[in-house]
Amino acid sequence: MTWIIKIVMFICIVPTVILMYMLGFSKDPGKKKMVMGVRDNPKFHEGEASGKFDAIVGSARKGGLIITALVILFSVILLCLPVTGNTMVAWIILVFALFLIAVPYGKGNTELKNLKKELGITKSGVSYTDLTSTNTVHALKMPWVILPNALALIAAAVSVLIDLGVFGIEVASEKFALTMMGVSLLSIAVMLVPLALLMDNTRNMVISRDSNINANYNRAKKKTWADLFVAMSWANTLFLIGYSILLVFTASETAMLLGILVYTALIMVIAGMGVVTQMRVEKRYTRDTELELQDDDDNWILGMFYYNPNDTRLNVEKRLGYGATVNIAHPAGKVIAVLTAVILIVSLILIVYLNATGQMEASDMINLP
Amino acid sequence: MIIRIDEYSDVPIYMQIRNQIVMGISSGDLKPGEQLPTVRALALEIGINTMTVSKTYQLLKQEGYIMTDRKNGARVRENIAQSGVISQENKNELRRIVSEARLSGVGKDALKELIDEFY
Repeated sequence: MTWIIKIVMFICIVPTVILMYMLGFSKDPGKKKMVMGVRDNPKFHEGEASGKFDAIVGSARKGGLIITALVILFSVILLCLPVTGNTMVAWIILVFALFLIAVPYGKGNTELKNLKKELGITKSGVSYTDLTSTNTVHALKMPWVILPNALALIAAAVSVLIDLGVFGIEVASEKFALTMMGVSLLSIAVMLVPLALLMDNTRNMVISRDSNINANYNRAKKKTWADLFVAMSWANTLFLIGYSILLVFTASETAMLLGILVYTALIMVIAGMGVVTQMRVEKRYTRDTELELQDDDDNWILGMFYYNPNDTRLNVEKRLGYGATVNIAHPAGKVIAVLTAVILIVSLILIVYLNATGQMEASDMINLP
Repeated sequence: MIIRIDEYSDVPIYMQIRNQIVMGISSGDLKPGEQLPTVRALALEIGINTMTVSKTYQLLKQEGYIMTDRKNGARVRENIAQSGVISQENKNELRRIVSEARLSGVGKDALKELIDEFY
């Protein structure tokens, strides 16, 4: 039944890399507000500069396409190989390889910034703020995101109590499997609430002189995020409850793996729908965009990492993909960035170590019938 | 109402915000009694220090354009005191603008037209 593990990894990696490629390397960059993290400028499309611009974008796009194709190719190869300790490590390395798509993106970003300098495009330093919609545009209804996550908390607590034998229920699965699963899914629930709040409190974008358009645009974007987090919270909670019931009544590993497969597919579908809706909102409001976005390209390292000591905000809208990222110059942003880097590096080292010491090979998941 | 901030301008940011709020009140974009964002919210929205926005609000309050209290935050004053005189500072500013306009060859009528448009 190890094929299920492979499918779970496959449906996590392949759609993600395709989505990353589509979002990072637009097919029609001339029609986008941002091109590889650099604000589009009419001077990019005039005379000689147009050729240079097309060459930079074309080269980065080609690089992105090669990495995407390689990731898909390796995913297909791994899908055909049996699950062993080595192939599991290969799958995990492939997850980390997704970050490679940032290489041509970052290269394109640097070259476009150089082109800007060459063309004498100077930073204007002008930004707009809509006084009418400051702190008034929100779409997240807190009870809707708290309710499913509170249910998840109750379900996780019940799982722990069942494992401790408080209810006197005989559990078919392994000892403390319920607790482990409950706590893992609860940790996701715990993260969803602050993330939903963070997205609902991102800075409002000013695209028009009409405050109503700005309010509607920002509300539409925040509504998409709010719906996404509510849907993810419900999916997480329902999975926690369903999976707990499954673990109580059966010790079938096939059923458990199928459960994980359904959960992963569901989360990917919800995330995909969120991105599609965001794209629709952006497209819908393109014709209403009349104000230029603030030229803060220099504050975006490689077009991905925001570093602006003069900005007091912690979270800002992402340039690669959809969502928010942190201002690394902010004290809390520094802590988040360091923690993220440490977690990523440590987990990679740990996986390689587990495989080298043969502990990965001995894992129950790999040795399923 | 849209506020435009130019971080490279010679005019300090607190003054840029103050000037635009005053213009907004004058043009009717900001209605009498209209609620203004809190100091913290506006500072976060623009991405500047809360002290800068606080300074703007204090100045606007001092000049009688807005009123602030702990319960309701900042609001545009219902009745702004009309002294009927132009301050010496504004007179000097107007003198500078008229001088520059004359040196640039702008006629008196064109200037008056502009005043009519803005008034």
